[in-house]
Amino acid sequence: MRKNIATLQKSPISTGERKVSRFLLFFEDLVKVPLFGCQHCGECVLSSTAFVCSQRCPKKMRNGPCGGTGEDGSCEVYRDRKCVWYTIYRRSQLFSRMRLLLKFNKIHNWDLEGTAAWVNVFKRRIDPPIWFAGKE
Amino acid sequence: MHPLKLREKIASGEFILCGEIGPPQSCDDLAIREKAAHFKGHVDAVNITDNQSAVVRLSSIAAARILLEEGVEPIMQMTCRDRNRLAIQSDLLGAAALGIENVLCLTGDHQKFGDQPEAKGVFDLDSVQLIATVAQLNAGYLLSGKEIKKAPDFLIGAAANPFAPPLEMRVIRLQKKVAAGANFIQTQPVFDLDLFSRWMQKVVSFGVHEKCAILAGVMPVKSVKTLLYMRKNVPGMKISQEYIDRMHNASEPQEVGLKIAVEIIDSLKQINGVRGIHILPVMWESIVPTLVTKIQKSI
Repeated sequence: MRKNIATLQKSPISTGERKVSRFLLFFEDLVKVPLFGCQHCGECVLSSTAFVCSQRCPKKMRNGPCGGTGEDGSCEVYRDRKCVWYTIYRRSQLFSRMRLLLKFNKIHNWDLEGTAAWVNVFKRRIDPPIWFAGKE
Repeated sequence: MHPLKLREKIASGEFILCGEIGPPQSCDDLAIREKAAHFKGHVDAVNITDNQSAVVRLSSIAAARILLEEGVEPIMQMTCRDRNRLAIQSDLLGAAALGIENVLCLTGDHQKFGDQPEAKGVFDLDSVQLIATVAQLNAGYLLSGKEIKKAPDFLIGAAANPFAPPLEMRVIRLQKKVAAGANFIQTQPVFDLDLFSRWMQKVVSFGVHEKCAILAGVMPVKSVKTLLYMRKNVPGMKISQEYIDRMHNASEPQEVGLKIAVEIIDSLKQINGVRGIHILPVMWESIVPTLVTKIQKSI
């Protein structure tokens, strides 16, 4: 059976849409960059990662930490940083969003890089955010 | 009698033994054949690493094929560090055409740890997505959704590190890997039985051990130097001080290293949910026949 594991390009993104997207990205950035350290992947999974951007990970892990997290929760590549997935775990506990850590985040569509995720949700290119985690 | 394939062995519920070979940093196929001879007839299948620690080596597909020629069942490792989704799918189809039936899906060590830290890391997929991709190919579809006329039928493996914090997140990630389609799991080498059994308890409490075969990693070491090196340089390794002290005080470190490996395996076999052992003899492949004979007495 074929599973829906990758965010596929439904239709080419028109030049007009890109223009609108870039304009709206400015406003999205005002919120997402200072609050979450957004990396503009255009395929936001913040709602499943307790609002910590997983794309700050040097390995761009979208589905949980690699095996290299240090004993103090540090990143294996940059020891002076915290592993983003370590932080995601702690935040998920704090916000009772542990259930969402089991969600499979799809294979990224790189054509969405640098576009506004809000537009992409509206255009149904990507999964909508999950606001309520539901019961544990 | 023809030996059981890894897939059949997992289905049969018998105790499983796997090995691991790192291909050379050259095109010397004899080096692989010589290493394979140490494993032949002693283990069920042997991992072929894919540029481990981000150091350039002979490709895992080619090495796996050489293993097949030697009559040893290979488990081809595939990492997401060096390939994007196009290369991954094409390499998987190629491997299947060469008769390779087992693939171990890894994210891969970051290029910063290798011999060419200047390289661009690809990481187009992560390991969970790679597992899902292999499952998709098995189901007869490319990632694009296009149907494959002759689909591969891989047995899908994945890795788990029970020793990196936080413990609960490790179990969640394991659950994700199994949900994505992993049939068996190999763990990082165990040098901390206490932590491993705590992880295993959690795994068993979620019933994950019933959906996939969990093979615990064991690394026989030659000297205390290897242990200290691993503790310092290999990300995500946890080694009990007890083993370091014992190796340090040993007059015959190789004997003690073997003894420790046997002890760890004996303890692992008592842990509920462990279906087999994955032996990782780094630079010490010749110990495998001795080690296997010693542990088989108690299987």
